[in-house]
Amino acid sequence: MIGQIQNRQAFIEKISQKLKRSEVPSAIEPPQWSYAPQYQVLKDKTQDELLEVLQKQCQLINTSCVVTKLADLPGAVYETIQSYGGGPVIAWQDERFGHYGLTELFNERLPKEQVPVNTWDPAKGRENVSLAEKANVGITIAEQMLAESGTAVLFSYKNHGRAVNFLPEKSIILIPKSMIVPRMTQAAASLRKRVLQGEKVPPCINFISGPSNSADIELILVVGVHGPNYMTYIVIEDL
Amino acid sequence: MPMKVGSEPFKNRVDEGIQNTFMRGAVSGAQDRLEVKRLQAVEELGDWETWRLLGEQIRQHVLENLDYYLTQLSDNVAKLGGHVYFASTAEEAREYIAGVAKQKNAKKIVKSKSMVTEEIDLNHHLQADGLEVVETDLGEYILQLDNDLPSHIVAPALHRNKEQVQESFHSHHGYEGSSRPEELTKHARKMLRNDYLTADIGITGCNFAVAETGSVCIVTNEGNADLSTSLPKTQITVMGMERLVPTFEELEVLVNMLTRSAVGQKLPSYVTVLSGPRGEGDADGPEEFHLVIVDNGRSEILGTEFQPILQCIRCAACANVCPVYRHVGGHSYGSIYSGPVGAVLSPLLGGYDEYKELPFASTLCGACTDVCPVKIPLHELLHKHRQVIVEKEGRAPISERFLMSIFGMGSSSSGLYNMGSKIASKALKPIIKDSHISKGVGPLKNWMEAREFPAPNKERFRDWFENRAKGGNES
Amino acid sequence: MKVALFATCLVDMFRTNVGKSTVELLEHLGCEVEFPKGQICCGQPAYNAGFVKDSKEAMKHMIEVFEEAEYIVSPSGSCAYMFKKYPEVFQGDPIWEPRAKKVADKTYELTQFIVDVLRVEDVGAAFDGNVTYHMSCHMTRLLGVKSAPMTLLSNVRGLKYTELPNKDTCCGFGGTFSVKMEQISEQMVDEKVQHIIETGAQYLIGADEGCLMNIRGRAERVGAKVEVLHIAEILNNRMAEVK
Repeated sequence: MIGQIQNRQAFIEKISQKLKRSEVPSAIEPPQWSYAPQYQVLKDKTQDELLEVLQKQCQLINTSCVVTKLADLPGAVYETIQSYGGGPVIAWQDERFGHYGLTELFNERLPKEQVPVNTWDPAKGRENVSLAEKANVGITIAEQMLAESGTAVLFSYKNHGRAVNFLPEKSIILIPKSMIVPRMTQAAASLRKRVLQGEKVPPCINFISGPSNSADIELILVVGVHGPNYMTYIVIEDL
Repeated sequence: MPMKVGSEPFKNRVDEGIQNTFMRGAVSGAQDRLEVKRLQAVEELGDWETWRLLGEQIRQHVLENLDYYLTQLSDNVAKLGGHVYFASTAEEAREYIAGVAKQKNAKKIVKSKSMVTEEIDLNHHLQADGLEVVETDLGEYILQLDNDLPSHIVAPALHRNKEQVQESFHSHHGYEGSSRPEELTKHARKMLRNDYLTADIGITGCNFAVAETGSVCIVTNEGNADLSTSLPKTQITVMGMERLVPTFEELEVLVNMLTRSAVGQKLPSYVTVLSGPRGEGDADGPEEFHLVIVDNGRSEILGTEFQPILQCIRCAACANVCPVYRHVGGHSYGSIYSGPVGAVLSPLLGGYDEYKELPFASTLCGACTDVCPVKIPLHELLHKHRQVIVEKEGRAPISERFLMSIFGMGSSSSGLYNMGSKIASKALKPIIKDSHISKGVGPLKNWMEAREFPAPNKERFRDWFENRAKGGNES
Repeated sequence: MKVALFATCLVDMFRTNVGKSTVELLEHLGCEVEFPKGQICCGQPAYNAGFVKDSKEAMKHMIEVFEEAEYIVSPSGSCAYMFKKYPEVFQGDPIWEPRAKKVADKTYELTQFIVDVLRVEDVGAAFDGNVTYHMSCHMTRLLGVKSAPMTLLSNVRGLKYTELPNKDTCCGFGGTFSVKMEQISEQMVDEKVQHIIETGAQYLIGADEGCLMNIRGRAERVGAKVEVLHIAEILNNRMAEVK
């Protein structure tokens, strides 16, 4: 379905007129910018070095950063959930959880210990939102992690409900170490590449850097406002 | 509320601001802290001047091709199934949004912070239509309870202290907790959680739209924009028409500069890029997406010497370093756009009748120009306003025009100057006491309200030089 | 080296000693100082207030007075900056723009001239006192002279320096701002004086008499025990104390 555009012609014509041209150019490419400082940031860092940068940054943004091997991942996730006070848990529906060896944890171990784990299922519609609202912990998987700012890049659509990253009070985000990049420059470049290759942009891309916060009252920082109050990144170091 | 804040004349507003000790303490404290953080953030990034040059280039390129990029943006939003409304005036924007609300039979709207929606006075009009409009940004939420007005572009409730917030929550909600910000914030979270879940429409602003993909990017620390857009069935995003970038690559540059300049953060907690309504098969996200693109006077600025002000990315770094803002606070500007950017923009969007004093409320110290991440020559634009106000509009008081033309004469004729300055010492003798002027008249009176004014030297420098050259006193 | 001194109207009328110190200092550094007699005012007061047309008469006069000079040196950052703006003010004028450019290109603020042109960092000065320094906005941000004054002060024997809190912040002069927006100006200069008092310094030094008159006037009004001097007066001080 194509959306409606209203009142465009006169609006745009006025702008063209102010720009002293009689019509809108048919195609413009952004120029080769004269400056490109963004590519210099954290240039040539190894993955280990990027991980170090990430860990340091997490400390500054009230985010825990746990590094674990794939074999130990279920244990790390389990411990984090327990440290957060247990369930209920809501997770994205994502086959990567299975690849990471978390099926048994989600489907058996946790429920057995009275920690229900719900999975985002679009077929359930709005009920997903209720489950997310009731959940104590939300678990998702990042596409990339930006070392400089401690930012998880998440594509939220279909089986990846947006609410999973926002409604629960605690948030756990998994990320393979190989997906850590220096900064948003690399994330933007890879996104753009996909766009130019004709891929559709996900309806919602979240760049999340730690739990929610506000300094609106007397500029005093309070961690935990409308989004999660607590956040843990779990880096899978051998992936 | 509309762009205009309050109805008092300028001098009264300034006076009120100066008398408000708490606000001044809050503002100067905030300025000192935010500027330290900004400096740390830009030093850590390194090569800041190059970033600024890039930021300026990107913004200038977009403005010079605004017709193209807005066309591309709207085409791409429509391709994603979103609706685009081009609103030339505030009224058109309001009517469209009210129309959508009516069509949806909406009762409640949640809003994330948006300066442009305040500029077009959206809330009042929706409320007049019987809608409940809830501001979800903590600062705006606090202000809304008491019908108070924002005093800073980024920290709108800067002028309120925590005890005032506690009192406000108590009288409106029966809040019984302490004035600790953590507790106050927990209370707001609780109150708003229900609003997010029951709202029919989420209205947001737009930090940057991305033309190439038809996306809108919204930046918050609280997560309120995300909840406002993932839970209600309809999303309406309102943007000033100049707030866009060509592609994701320019987006990341400007978001990065915005947050470092505004509050010294590398990135805020949430940078959210939304492209159209929810995808097919999504269980949350809006079913319907509307993008309202607002002109409201911006196109009049295009193609004029004031065009650079449209480069603004609303970081408020200029306000954070402005010594005038420091002492008078945001409300004195009489506009939701305060600080140096407000002093340039408000007269352009709101007219000289309302805002002719603002460009003069500056020493042209250049601190704002120095910190602007996209290199807007703010102090020069303020000066341009002065020139327009005085010369084109002829709005300077007659006495000042007279004095200035005397100045012009006196400083272009050595004879006149020589005569004037020679007799100054003698002519002023009656009001000289202890080598100071003791009684002020005219502009001198204003000076002397706060300071001593020296009497002219008995011997002018030029006379000393001449005497010495003739072999006179070597004193 | 022949230097044409652009004394500024404020110095000429109110602070002869600053002009005197400037002349003696430059001579001490080996310059021959001329004072083109026709000079009056750079035009700032009218220009900054938006009266560009009226200010142009003053500017043309100054261009005529100074255009044959080899170097133009002024003990005022803002006035030197005004000269630098002349080409822009006369942009498009086929007669005055090139003349303005000639003048602008050879104009220097005093400390800038000493450090960048004469290449001197130690002028042989001595000053026994505890000082703090106000960095005038037009001089630092607009003219771009940020380090020359401190470089010169750092070599003054016996001088004790304390940094001024919020040293980059405007003092609230701004020309006609000080009388048109007097409420705000008062707050700004008051904060500046409070910061000066906080340093415990006996002297406040600056390089622009506009700022200094503003600060001095306030300091005197509130009874602050601080003497406000121009940097030329310090740099020209060799053995004896400033009277």
